[in-house]
Amino acid sequence: MSDLRAWILKKSDATTFFAALAGKMQLIAPKDYFQGDEMFSLVDSPHDIDWDYGHDIYPPKRFLLPHHEDMFRYRVGKSISIKDVPEVPDTAIIGIRSCDVKAIRFQERFFNTQIEDSYYKKRSDKTVLFSLVCNKPPKRECFCICCDAGPYLEDGFDVQLTDLGDRFFYEIGSQKGAEATNIGGYMLAKANAIDFAKRRSLELQADSLFKTVSYFAKAINFISANEVPNEVWEELGSTCFRCGACTNLCPVCTCFTVDDRLEVDGSYTRKRSWDSCQYAGFTREASGHNPRPTFGARVRRRFYHKASYQYVQRDGTHGCVGCGRCISACLTRLDMPTVIKRIRRSMHKYLEPQAKSVEVWK
Amino acid sequence: MEKILSTCGFCSCGCALYVEPRNGQIGSLCPSVSHPVSTGRLCFKGWHGTPAMLGSDRLRTPLIRKEGKLQSASWDEALDLTASTLKRVSSGTSPSSIGIIGSSKTTNEECYSLVKLARSVIGTPNIDGPCRFYEASLIHSLLGTIGVPASQIDIPSIPMAGSMLVVGANVMDQLPHIGSRVQDAYENGCKVIAADPRISRIKPQATLYFQPMPGTDLFWLRSLIKAIIAKKLYVDDVPQLLGFEELSASLSDIPVSLPGNIYGITADEIREAAKILAENRPAIIMFGLGVLQQHNSTQIVKALADIAILLGGKVLPLRGQNNAQGATDMGLTYDLMPGYEAIMVPEVKHRWESTWNCSLPSAPGKSAVEMIRACASGDLKALLIFGENVALSAPNTEESKSALDKVDFLAVSDVYLNETAQLADVVFPACSFLEKDGTFTNIERRVQRVRKVFEPIGDSRSDLDIIAALSLALGNEVSADPEQVAKEIAQYVPMYAGLSYEMLEKTWGKPWSIEAQVPKFAPIPAAEPEQNDEYPFHLIAARINYHQQTGSMSRQFGILKREYPESYAELSKSDADRLGVRPGKFVKITSKTGSLVRSVLLNDLIPVGSIHVPHYFGGDSPNALASWDSDLISGTPAYKACKVKVEAIR
Repeated sequence: MSDLRAWILKKSDATTFFAALAGKMQLIAPKDYFQGDEMFSLVDSPHDIDWDYGHDIYPPKRFLLPHHEDMFRYRVGKSISIKDVPEVPDTAIIGIRSCDVKAIRFQERFFNTQIEDSYYKKRSDKTVLFSLVCNKPPKRECFCICCDAGPYLEDGFDVQLTDLGDRFFYEIGSQKGAEATNIGGYMLAKANAIDFAKRRSLELQADSLFKTVSYFAKAINFISANEVPNEVWEELGSTCFRCGACTNLCPVCTCFTVDDRLEVDGSYTRKRSWDSCQYAGFTREASGHNPRPTFGARVRRRFYHKASYQYVQRDGTHGCVGCGRCISACLTRLDMPTVIKRIRRSMHKYLEPQAKSVEVWK
Repeated sequence: MEKILSTCGFCSCGCALYVEPRNGQIGSLCPSVSHPVSTGRLCFKGWHGTPAMLGSDRLRTPLIRKEGKLQSASWDEALDLTASTLKRVSSGTSPSSIGIIGSSKTTNEECYSLVKLARSVIGTPNIDGPCRFYEASLIHSLLGTIGVPASQIDIPSIPMAGSMLVVGANVMDQLPHIGSRVQDAYENGCKVIAADPRISRIKPQATLYFQPMPGTDLFWLRSLIKAIIAKKLYVDDVPQLLGFEELSASLSDIPVSLPGNIYGITADEIREAAKILAENRPAIIMFGLGVLQQHNSTQIVKALADIAILLGGKVLPLRGQNNAQGATDMGLTYDLMPGYEAIMVPEVKHRWESTWNCSLPSAPGKSAVEMIRACASGDLKALLIFGENVALSAPNTEESKSALDKVDFLAVSDVYLNETAQLADVVFPACSFLEKDGTFTNIERRVQRVRKVFEPIGDSRSDLDIIAALSLALGNEVSADPEQVAKEIAQYVPMYAGLSYEMLEKTWGKPWSIEAQVPKFAPIPAAEPEQNDEYPFHLIAARINYHQQTGSMSRQFGILKREYPESYAELSKSDADRLGVRPGKFVKITSKTGSLVRSVLLNDLIPVGSIHVPHYFGGDSPNALASWDSDLISGTPAYKACKVKVEAIR
């Protein structure tokens, strides 16, 4: 393809286009499940892609950082052996939302700086993202607009698709995207002025449809300066159900634990699985001492990592893309917008309700 | 690989989850968004317990005890040995010297088939379920009052409550999807009244929080009923209901002004509670094992049901195990047939005899607890246990274990070689809920599909397969096809009339119907409190939320195990000071039946005079301290309110 970034893919050609791509790589796309459940899955044919889906609660980060991953298998004893497990095929994730693209870029930076995580890198090198922007926020909980993570992306995408009715506005954002486009590129036409205008108007319209907001600016200051009173964290912690869904389903969270599983044949498999800073065992030391001994301390940790200046400086952005999954996944109300709102209230004494004593939960 | 939709097997909430297998293990797992309970959310055990079901220490082959040791054997050997032993016992003495204990972890189809195996194939009346150890006291008490031994509401309706009374249940930790709805209700303005000897995590939501002395629930609940009746706070048509006069009369010993202080709760607090519950309708009355495992549990549940009826409220009994509801629906109780029909009623007996084409014993058999004691006395010659870790869930561990050891023949079907299986003569390797088809019935009475995600590990088989094979070896055919069994259940158990797998391929299913039952009151006569000065401490034995049942499924896995790596006991600081123990030091906890050693943690949420010993770390369990004292009517051991003494170990 030429240097031109913006193209048009007719919807009537989309199936053929992605069928051509399927010859080169496996396709992962939103699919319909039981009773309206929608999830990303391997699709056998582009016919199965549910282009009108809303949002997958189970973030597509799992295709790069699997929920449970066998890393390598080893044997000890007389003949020591060690062998990597994952065979990683070339993969296209089609229909991924802007927030999740932004989150994956965050994770790529995290796993590739300092010590490179080869398991992650192998997957991310072989994965190309065809994101589908949201013409309207797919759910009430969305607040990507507060996080510079959507509904449209300026950069960071491989290929960005906008639904213009009978056609997709097709933008190429990276070398990987350009290479993946080559395969069916003959089906693309140049975008014209009307297409550009239509896309712009959709973008402006989408911007005005958000129902949820998260007031990061002030909260980042308060959290960074460690000004949030401890009682507020403990009050928040007292409602935590310690399920770990907030970190499991956060597309930005990267923490994992490793475990060696003894196989029936006597070998071991080193396995890694998603872990959560919200568990006491996550930071408990061998001596039994826990630097984050209370629920409040652990909740504080989570928000400190998401929204303190120290991390903003290191990662280039705060650790939230506004996907809203912490809102829908939490058994209580420990989601980003609610906690930020609570922090903001705590900094204005006149907004505080009458002080009540708070139990500290361990 | 494709994702497979199934039902979580860790608690009675019954979340729907998608599981994607990879290399024989769980590759990914997430909740269903559209399911009415899970609504896109899972609890800790849902996220982390499910992968634990596939541990490498799973049983893979049948085991037979040879020369005192359990050794691998073939299915034929294990089944033949079991069948021939059962035949020998049956003809040598009588079928009633055989006992069978089932599990609330298994599917409805398995529970039903196990009842059929016991009653019609083997011909023994001794069939019971783990409800005997946990929640059996709610069955007859609720049947006799609200008319259904089950919840009267579904989980999504909880946030609409005006007020709720939560007694003896750490609902936020133990049943998180119900706890979550309690939180929603609280935010909608619902007034929460909670009662628990220790402070539980519902405290921040509670308008009133009572800390009654352990074992005294009946006393303050009687006062509460008196307060409601005396102030006429009940709904209008209540005095016309059956039993109202008897109830009022049974409380005549309580003065209208109420006793000043009932084991830590004042008359003013009782009046306040009555007012809150009456003024904020609808009221939901919830109660858990704290209520269900006392020596007068049946009476306490009746009192709670009376309160619900007086206020026009709903009862939500908090059963714990994933298929606790289904197991008792299927008749996994010694005195009831499937559908809660009493075996004593001749018409019921005849109907089931013609259904199963057999002759049934007309008297109820032995309860699970009685079966264990009969193992010791020699009345029982053979015991079959399917999926319940009886060695830890029965009271008086020392005597229970020696009884299980003593019985001539013990066969155990389980997923792991747990404490019970270690005592067996034959062990059948069962597979987990991830490896079989069937249905579970959740706490809302919703019958839900469990689907096979993996082939059974090793040579393990589903309990249904094992029951069918055993039945065949005994000369009778019982279907091993879950769908076939489900059809039979739909045909013969009235409340399951609508059950069909075909329908469950299209919808989430509906809770089985509780037809307009006319409630009636139960009188609540006064009871005498127990005094025991030799054992001054109250034992609070409770589950921690990272474990389930006896921990047989949950203490196997990394992240679950990591949260609480070691067992402990919690004391208030003042008690610890008085005993002269510091945190981390050890105490010996002794009851009249046994003793335990635990390291001490200080926790001021534990009331003075009580010690909290959590369950389920394997090894010795606080059940070891419980005696054979049971609720007289249901036979549920009085695990709660056990008295102990605590000594520092120097």
